[in-house]
Amino acid sequence: MPNPIKPDCSVVTTCAYCGVGCNFKAETHEGRIVRMIPWKDGKANHGHSCIKGRFAFDYYNHPDRIRKPMIRDSIDEVWHEVTWEQAFEFAARRFRRIQTRYGRRAIGAVSSSRCTNEEIFLVQKLARAVFGNNNIDNCARICHSPTQFGLSATVGWGAASQHFDSILQADVIMVVGANPTEGHPVFGSLLKRRVRQGARLIVIDPRQTETVRSPHVAADVHLALRPGTNVAVLDSIAHVVVREKLYNEEFVRARCEWEEFEHWAELVGSDRYAPELIGPQAGLDPEDIRHAARLYASGPNSAIYYGLGVTEHSQGSTGVMCLGNLSLACGMLGREGVGVNPLRGQGNVQGGSCLGSWPHVFSGYRFVTDDEVRGSFEAEWGVTLDAEPGLRLPNMFDAALTGHFRGMFIMGEDPVQSDPNQDHTIAAMREMECVVVQDLFLNETAKYAHVFLPGSSSLEKDGTFTGAERRVNRVRKVVEPLAGLQDWEIVVKLMNAMGYPAHYDHAGQILDEIARLSPAYKGLSFELLDRVGSAQWPVDENAPEGTEVLHRERFPRANGRGTFMLTEYVPTRERATDQHPLLLTTGRILSQYNVGTQTRRTANSRWHSEDVLEVSAEDAAARGIKDGDVVWLSSRFGATQLRARLSRRVNPGTVYTTFHHAETRVNVVTSDLSDWATNCPEYKVTAVEVSLVKPAGVEAAGRGEARHEPAVSTGEPVSGREEAHA
Amino acid sequence: MNALHEPLPPGPVNDPVLSMERLLGMANQIGDFFAPYPPARRAEGIRNHLRTYWDPRMREALLAYIDGGGSGLAEHVLQGALLLRDSEPKKGYYGPPKA
Amino acid sequence: MWSELRDLTDAIDVGTPPRSGEMVSLTIDGQPVRVPRGSSVMLAAAKAGCGIPKLCATDSLEPFGSCRLCLVEVEGMRGYPASCTTLVAEGMTVRTESEVLSRIRKGVLELYLSDFPAGDIPDGWSEFHRALEQCGVDTHPYGDGTDHQQAPVDESNPYFLFDQAKCIVCNRCVRACEEIQGTFALTISGRGFDSKISAGQDQPFFESDCVSCGACVQTCPTQALVEKSLFPEGYARA
Repeated sequence: MPNPIKPDCSVVTTCAYCGVGCNFKAETHEGRIVRMIPWKDGKANHGHSCIKGRFAFDYYNHPDRIRKPMIRDSIDEVWHEVTWEQAFEFAARRFRRIQTRYGRRAIGAVSSSRCTNEEIFLVQKLARAVFGNNNIDNCARICHSPTQFGLSATVGWGAASQHFDSILQADVIMVVGANPTEGHPVFGSLLKRRVRQGARLIVIDPRQTETVRSPHVAADVHLALRPGTNVAVLDSIAHVVVREKLYNEEFVRARCEWEEFEHWAELVGSDRYAPELIGPQAGLDPEDIRHAARLYASGPNSAIYYGLGVTEHSQGSTGVMCLGNLSLACGMLGREGVGVNPLRGQGNVQGGSCLGSWPHVFSGYRFVTDDEVRGSFEAEWGVTLDAEPGLRLPNMFDAALTGHFRGMFIMGEDPVQSDPNQDHTIAAMREMECVVVQDLFLNETAKYAHVFLPGSSSLEKDGTFTGAERRVNRVRKVVEPLAGLQDWEIVVKLMNAMGYPAHYDHAGQILDEIARLSPAYKGLSFELLDRVGSAQWPVDENAPEGTEVLHRERFPRANGRGTFMLTEYVPTRERATDQHPLLLTTGRILSQYNVGTQTRRTANSRWHSEDVLEVSAEDAAARGIKDGDVVWLSSRFGATQLRARLSRRVNPGTVYTTFHHAETRVNVVTSDLSDWATNCPEYKVTAVEVSLVKPAGVEAAGRGEARHEPAVSTGEPVSGREEAHA
Repeated sequence: MNALHEPLPPGPVNDPVLSMERLLGMANQIGDFFAPYPPARRAEGIRNHLRTYWDPRMREALLAYIDGGGSGLAEHVLQGALLLRDSEPKKGYYGPPKA
Repeated sequence: MWSELRDLTDAIDVGTPPRSGEMVSLTIDGQPVRVPRGSSVMLAAAKAGCGIPKLCATDSLEPFGSCRLCLVEVEGMRGYPASCTTLVAEGMTVRTESEVLSRIRKGVLELYLSDFPAGDIPDGWSEFHRALEQCGVDTHPYGDGTDHQQAPVDESNPYFLFDQAKCIVCNRCVRACEEIQGTFALTISGRGFDSKISAGQDQPFFESDCVSCGACVQTCPTQALVEKSLFPEGYARA
């Protein structure tokens, strides 16, 4: 038996996938990456990992990888391979032409949470200093932008208040609209460990997720609420806390705005939020609501962990405020074992938020309208900056349809697959005159692009990621970029081509610039991270090696106190109707990552080769649907086909699917409704109907637009591309 | 200071940057959130939100629509939006102003 | 609670989870050492720089005591207790090396070797190979007998395989799946000589509850569980 080959080199780096931010040792043998083993010193993962980071790294070497820049005059033409210089020059010329014709604000950029902090910073600099506007957004728009809004309003900062290990000191864990066992597996394992040690678990989720019940772990209370009733239920929990006087008065008087608390207590304490009234509306037993409230308030250490089940709603920001209000009222902030923790999904989405990849703020969540802050950026960058907020991503698409928005730079994102109301998105993309996509593979969005810049995976570049616990981790280059340039180098060259003289010798200098411009990142540098491994922001003179727990002494608001926002329940306009009597909600599965661009190109697809629709037995029986049948999933926006699976995890009235495969086109079905404050799409509630197409055993037919992708002009088909489904 | 950017050429006139239906929907949704607040705070909250988060063209389109009658807009949203025309625009804010 | 995770480091495997609490003083091979109450003798020895050979112990898992390699002599205690399951006590005196201990460890390893693929001993780099080196063992005195060398290799998972022929039933994988991952997909089925690691209801890994987190692969000391990517030509038996 030949012995396994022994790796000859190893580099400590950070996983490219979810927001846990596991550290790995990338081991190579003769220059090829052979395995990723979890790093025991990793403060987020302590030597543990999941299937994605541990094994699904081969996508970086997949034949579908594009290795040369490509351009084309119109999206109906073939792609032409060109040199980097030609591609940059083409893009620059087109962008400037659009601006001359339609105005400075007619182009914008979208950065990626799969890219490093340095790259995200450069893309917002591209929009601000080079395009001259604030049309910069990132994918957190469609996931955690309400976290930003809601937590900033109540506690001051839109970020997790604790580090992951803090859960080991929690006595009560409340998981709302999240499924850490699937979405943040290493953290999910930590949660399960704590529950096995005796902590109590409350789960608020329409579905009986793996977090609710798994070996030796069971939730004390599972509130399987009807999709769309979050704020009602959270207010009802608050009602019990207020009426039964379970709140921590001492904490509220000492650390919060007492008057605002009184206004809030009056609102949630009113009869209309009594569990006896809200329970039936949400499909819950009023006693369960009371039980959850009493459990949470009694602690002594209660921690909230929440995800997109809270944010991706038309009252997403309000829902987050409810969580902020609740933790303030019960005094569950400012020490170990408690807190309000958004489970940021992507590897660097927290970074994107911190670094001002938003149309209304610079890095550090400081407003573009603030003259002083803007002045400091103008001084550093040497240009006048736009003083007005820009367009959010969904509004960029809206504006494209009215002719006001014509060009976009998209890095590491696939809005056509991931954004809601797909037909609307595609129509908008078609209106644009210059779409530049920087990515590893030709994705759905690239079908509507004019310039394709081949990017680099996180194994091929240097930089930092900020994980869900505010932890800034080093990403280290393991192999040379396959297309020749690291992602950040590409953005710099584009800036240069457009007339802005940016230059950096190495990525560390970009972090230094970030540190100069963002108070929370002030003390960060590659040197510090090489020395201590990782650091949670804020990193400054008070906390030179980072801050584990926030809000110990004061809340980062003007008067240092937390406040309470009035969270009236406003039912979503999306209602079940006779035509569409079921409610669709969406989620993720362990083996695939978001839209599957990376994981579908690894063996992970063996676990999840297609998205399936989970239907309750009752709803299926009423429609003559058996397990495995292909069904139509239709809403008033569109329809698509999926395989149905009968499941006890969803209640009658609710159906559930994932969105990892492009062929599924779930977003054809999702609505155009969004959060009031941030336009975060309401993915989690769509009125649908499910009907039989064909019995099981027959191929699912007619998947999506059968668009034959033209070959590259070298005369040969781009190697290894999947054929479009007929 | 290097002023890279020329002044804006005239864009499509009388043509809102987002469809009016979308803008009204968004404005009313904002109004729904601020509804439980007392009138003065409510109006200021709406004004601040629009000022901080809406692209100026979106604000202009909304104000133009209000000038033309503003039907379909909740009353308090209308009042809040009109405050956008008051004197010095305030620095942005996340929530309702302090009492 | 904290320390069992936060004090883990790649630089050294102290054998059992680090603890926190009031300090206890003891002597190991004549060296004084102080460790928190609740620590094992094995951990104390590691801290003192006297690494005790081990196979079933690792500091990310609670001790198990099955491999019998880490035996030590403790003044006042009868026999040869396993250092991984023995807690430190104030004033304890421990010897980690002696003729008897050497002989016992050699015996244990020779038994393991007798049911291990011989062709795999030279050039190996797993923890098992390091333990063999540490105790100066490279052959065994036993002839051919019943063994597990014909057991099938489970290659159902696309990323890693399980070769029962190399398994020493140390239980690290089962414990990792329970304590670290929390999936409880693995167990030992059968008893005595017939004991074997089984996934789910004695199913191939891929069909069981295994979520392919790799914790078992990470912790296996003999590379019975090992990444397929380390075999570019595929896995083959001699």
